[in-house]
Amino acid sequence: MLSQFAYRKAGSVQEAIELSSRPGARILAGGSDLLGCLRDGVFSADRIVSISGLKELKGVAATAGGGMRIGALATLAEIAGHPRLRQAYPALAQAAAAAASPQLRNQGTIGGNLCQRPRCWYFRGDFPCARKGGDTCYAIAGENQLHCIFGGEGCYMVHPSDTAPALLALDAKVRIQGRKGARTIPLASFFVLPSVDPRRENALAPGELLTEILLDPPEPGARGLYRKVRERGAFDFALVGAAIVLAISEGTVKKARVALSGVAPVPWRSEEAEAALAGKKLDQQAIAAAAAAAVKDAEPLSGNGYKIPLVRGMVEDALSALAG
Amino acid sequence: MSESTYAVVGTRPPRHDATDKVTGRAHYGADFQLTGMLHGFILRSPHAHAAIRRIDVSKAEAFPGVKAVVTSADLPESPEQMVDIGEGAMPLSYIRGNMLARSKVLYKGHAVAAVAAVSPHVAEEAASLIEVDYDVLPCALTVEDAMRDGAPVILPDLRTKEFGEQTGRPGNVAEHFRHVLGDAENGFTEADLVVEREFRTATVHQGYIEPHATTVLWNEDGHVLVWCSSQGAFTVRKATAAVLDLPVLRVSVTPLEIGGGFGGKIRIYLEPVAALLSKKSGRPVKIVMSRQDVFEGTGPTPGSHMRIKMGARKDGRITAAQAYLAYEAGAYPGAMVAPGAMCVFAAYDIPNVVIDGYDVVVNKPSTAAYRAPGATQAAFATESVVDEIAENLGLDPVEFRLMNAAKEGTRRADGPKFRRIGCVEVLEAMRNHPHYRAPLEGPNRGRGVAVGFWFNVGLASSCTISVNSDGTVNLLDGSVDLSGTRTSVSMQAAETLGLRAEDVRPSVGDTDSIGFTEVTGGSRTTYATGWAAVEAARDVIGQMKERAALLWETDAASVEFDRGVFRAGGRSITFQELAAQLDETGGPVVGRGAVNPSGAGGSFSGAIADVEVDPETGKVSVLRFTAVQDAGRAIHPSYVEGQMQGGSVQGIGWALNEEYFMSAEGAMLNSSWLDYRMPTSLDLPMIDTVIVEVPDPEHPFGVRGVGEANIVPPPAAVSNAVYRATGVRLYRLPMNPVAVMEALWQKESEPGGGSLHSDAAA
Repeated sequence: MLSQFAYRKAGSVQEAIELSSRPGARILAGGSDLLGCLRDGVFSADRIVSISGLKELKGVAATAGGGMRIGALATLAEIAGHPRLRQAYPALAQAAAAAASPQLRNQGTIGGNLCQRPRCWYFRGDFPCARKGGDTCYAIAGENQLHCIFGGEGCYMVHPSDTAPALLALDAKVRIQGRKGARTIPLASFFVLPSVDPRRENALAPGELLTEILLDPPEPGARGLYRKVRERGAFDFALVGAAIVLAISEGTVKKARVALSGVAPVPWRSEEAEAALAGKKLDQQAIAAAAAAAVKDAEPLSGNGYKIPLVRGMVEDALSALAG
Repeated sequence: MSESTYAVVGTRPPRHDATDKVTGRAHYGADFQLTGMLHGFILRSPHAHAAIRRIDVSKAEAFPGVKAVVTSADLPESPEQMVDIGEGAMPLSYIRGNMLARSKVLYKGHAVAAVAAVSPHVAEEAASLIEVDYDVLPCALTVEDAMRDGAPVILPDLRTKEFGEQTGRPGNVAEHFRHVLGDAENGFTEADLVVEREFRTATVHQGYIEPHATTVLWNEDGHVLVWCSSQGAFTVRKATAAVLDLPVLRVSVTPLEIGGGFGGKIRIYLEPVAALLSKKSGRPVKIVMSRQDVFEGTGPTPGSHMRIKMGARKDGRITAAQAYLAYEAGAYPGAMVAPGAMCVFAAYDIPNVVIDGYDVVVNKPSTAAYRAPGATQAAFATESVVDEIAENLGLDPVEFRLMNAAKEGTRRADGPKFRRIGCVEVLEAMRNHPHYRAPLEGPNRGRGVAVGFWFNVGLASSCTISVNSDGTVNLLDGSVDLSGTRTSVSMQAAETLGLRAEDVRPSVGDTDSIGFTEVTGGSRTTYATGWAAVEAARDVIGQMKERAALLWETDAASVEFDRGVFRAGGRSITFQELAAQLDETGGPVVGRGAVNPSGAGGSFSGAIADVEVDPETGKVSVLRFTAVQDAGRAIHPSYVEGQMQGGSVQGIGWALNEEYFMSAEGAMLNSSWLDYRMPTSLDLPMIDTVIVEVPDPEHPFGVRGVGEANIVPPPAAVSNAVYRATGVRLYRLPMNPVAVMEALWQKESEPGGGSLHSDAAA
């Protein structure tokens, strides 16, 4: 049931911050996740603050330093089709293209994609789970084939975003504005593990707004991709996914970033896989070692053990594609 | 008769309703509006099994904008009776109990109370104020749970019927029946190879895009008027009248366009509830289900637990077969296990057969028909075992099936002897198709085949044809048009009258305007309503002959009619010319056709599937798919092909993705399109079709219904293909990536991986 709420359209970032500072307020960008959550009673809101008219949050543009600045309101379709992103940051463009369905990519924003709520069926269903302030995660003893194999503690959901692991692999930073001013933090510290707080997925405080995403210039010899394994060819979340960005020089991996989706309550950076690649030639041996390292410390639940060979196979496959 | 003898039958004219459908002009259930209309909302049970201690609606009634609140206390009491609900009958108490729960809720989503208010939002908010005290009970969610000793008793009054007799035994088994042919035990001893396997299938939903929607006005004159999306207006009328304890004359049902049904829109869920709300409020009430309501509150198709045992000689002859079929009925008896038993071995001529069927109640929504109900589960099991035997005997899977194929005179274990059927012709078409012979190269790829049967029904249909003065005709029938039947029925009338399809203007009548017509289901509409249209056209011709005879001052018996022209004694007049003279010759001509055929010829269907299994992800991709089906006579080949493609796609979804995920407490976890994964166009190849025509000897044009048999073989064909691709056979649907990965994993971990423990006898 869509409960009654006040609708306010913010005319500026500052106004959006003021309007959304009080408890019970929610930011509306593309609305593709928010409105569904409100309708299904996953949570309620008494004030909806639309930021969809804020021009300063739109667009994708090159920065003076050779990087990119992506407004929080840039749509997934815009990112998927952006020539510069496709050429220099393929992991991100591919991840955006792999999300949802064409209609949702036209409507959904990158900011919303990073801030979307979990898809866990216990969270979305009528279960008072830990993420809704309850004292248990129903996935532990329940239907958990789609749940996490890393980082679960108190909550075993998987972070649903495809673009988040891609941005993580690109060492992206996010800019956050609030009453006390603006701060820019690495995306890696934007996401919150359930062991820290199972009730929120990110570091935004009430009234804080994710305004833009910043990408450094690509490293020399950079190559990257996003792989997504899903049941259905469209309109489906990742069973598991991997964003991989490598900087290769003279046949040797200078820098490796491996970030996984569908495996943890946050986009999951596999430093183990990265370490197995760094300084190595990208040959079959290194690829197999990295794939094995990616799942080394996995802790499956009763029904999701299949994700271990799945991740291993997917990482191996993705690295082989980058080597080719 | 060669096809060239027909001018209309076998051609592909555009459907009469095409423009309205593609422009969005067509009126579906939720599009209907009346002045002063209220909106209803149904409060549903959050528990899968609970006793209702108390319902307090006072806060909802007091909520501003609320005009009426109803619970089961508002339903009338009347003596128990069996009510025909379209495909089968059900005790009235169960129908009422499913409409609004009385003392217990039996599944999550079970309707408990309903509110009518000035807007859907007000109704929903008010419903949340209804207080229901539940005593939560343990639940049983599968046949195995429900048949276990000490299982929670779901219907306290239920007594098991066994072999047609009441046993007096309480429990969750509503019925156990058995069909016996020959001596199976002896038959197995004659076999050189016996294979026995156990299978399970998940609960799946028909997945029609349009949710159930109805608008009801309980008029001041005591007459109940219903406008709804359904598969049959007369069935809605009968069931609504029975629940409300009214004579059928006091209920009128107007069918609106339907956005898919597949068997799921035969039973009613909303009409009596909306009627009670309308009676209390004095205003028309519309109720539209949400998608979650559809998944949780309407009838999906049964999950199943099956064992199939088959024995064959080395020469390829099947000597005996045994089936154990236990289907989930949901909250009330009526799992489609009886039709499953009729179809389980129907494709084969087997001398010795035993079939045991169990109809088992569980704490899930009361199940409903879904396209060849019960047959798809059974065929998945049988066709997997047949495939395994063929392989073990070193025989080509199509040849092995041909060696044992049912034909005219073959007796089914459930009794009937087949008349002329097309099982052999379908198998031959598969064998001769280029797809079957095309090389399939590359690792992890495999090709599977399967066949399936659906018996089809005839049943009552009515049709009238009115002749216009310009020689066109208006045709009125009682069959809701699910799939282009306005056109396939009109074409049969046009062929009979010597007209073009576009000279016939078809419309679907309401229960006040046309004679009784059974539901659009059982693949019966083009067959039976088409037949009624032929009878109505013949009636028109008979009356027109009299008019010609009047003009020519001769006997009607001497007037002949052929391809639109009446002739007698060297004179002739066209249908159009004569139509212009009806006024002078006695007035309007209205032909009527009313039929109730009982001997519909069944349809066989076959599938050839090529798949590739990704060993890293477990994902099964269907690379190529060919559907073959006996249509008897394809009236409109495009719509036959569309049915074959639609059934194939639904069968593939059932095979690979679709499933109700249930929590241990009986809550469906994936009640949205996002999480209930029906395949999209990206998940499917173009479905190739081959229409086989073995005419039904009784039907005027030889039609066999084609709506259903096509869904039966795909899950088995895909499973057999997965086996050929991987060496691993899966015994449970769906074969999603998780299931495939686990099966591959298990194969790797077993010594001599992939050996399937065939228990070869003798």
